[in-house]
Amino acid sequence: MASAGARAQRPRTFADARAMASSSSELGWWVFMRISGLLLVPLAFGHLWANNMAFNAGEIDFAYVAGRLAQPSVKILDSFLLLFAMLHGVNGLRYSIEDYVKRPGRRFVWKMVLFTVAGIVFVLGVMTLWAFSFEEMGDAMRALGAE
Amino acid sequence: MYRGREGQWAFVFHRMSGVALALFLLLHVIDISLVMLGPDGPFDAFLVFYHNWPFRVGLIAVIAGVVYHGLNGLRIILMDFTSWGVRFQKPMWYGVLGLTTLIGIPVLWKIVPEILGVA
Repeated sequence: MASAGARAQRPRTFADARAMASSSSELGWWVFMRISGLLLVPLAFGHLWANNMAFNAGEIDFAYVAGRLAQPSVKILDSFLLLFAMLHGVNGLRYSIEDYVKRPGRRFVWKMVLFTVAGIVFVLGVMTLWAFSFEEMGDAMRALGAE
Repeated sequence: MYRGREGQWAFVFHRMSGVALALFLLLHVIDISLVMLGPDGPFDAFLVFYHNWPFRVGLIAVIAGVVYHGLNGLRIILMDFTSWGVRFQKPMWYGVLGLTTLIGIPVLWKIVPEILGVA
């Protein structure tokens, strides 16, 4: 198939993946996409449930987010969600760049831009989830309640 | 690669939803990071913007994308790691579409009245 040939051929089974992987790291990413994907289903569905179904997302404000980030369970689960979603999403975007950007120079530039932006955003996410101590978050909540 | 018409569409939807969700993830981490600037920071003002109806409709699309991408991802895992997965890829894809629609009903039921302000 011409269209399939234009795209990078993707293996369809683990045996194919092992035979076709250009390097052991590519085989590792192929396996990672499946394992992280499996973990992301409950993590992402749970995140959406908490913020869109158990709550009116149109009423989310500072107090709501601060209250969530003060919960250890939210910090831990959202940290795993951030880690796996970033790695899974950035690797998926890398596949897309490799499929659609043909010129090697441009492909390199797109990937470097992606990895740089993703690195900065990931650090920002970790800071947001962990930079505040629980006490600081509690103080912010109490300050809001006192107003 | 993919020889069935359904398989090709499953791939196209998976790729489109995946790229959209990855870009949304980057945006979402940045917007939530504004809470670091404190209760008097720009977070609430920024969220007022997010609570406008076009963005809330967009969030429904994000939810639909997560549900489709997640369920179709499970289909891909079954295709890759079981002996029968490839044989049943077509009915499994219709299962993914059906389940996405089924999950969409209570989601719309909850969120559309919120957007219309009648919740």
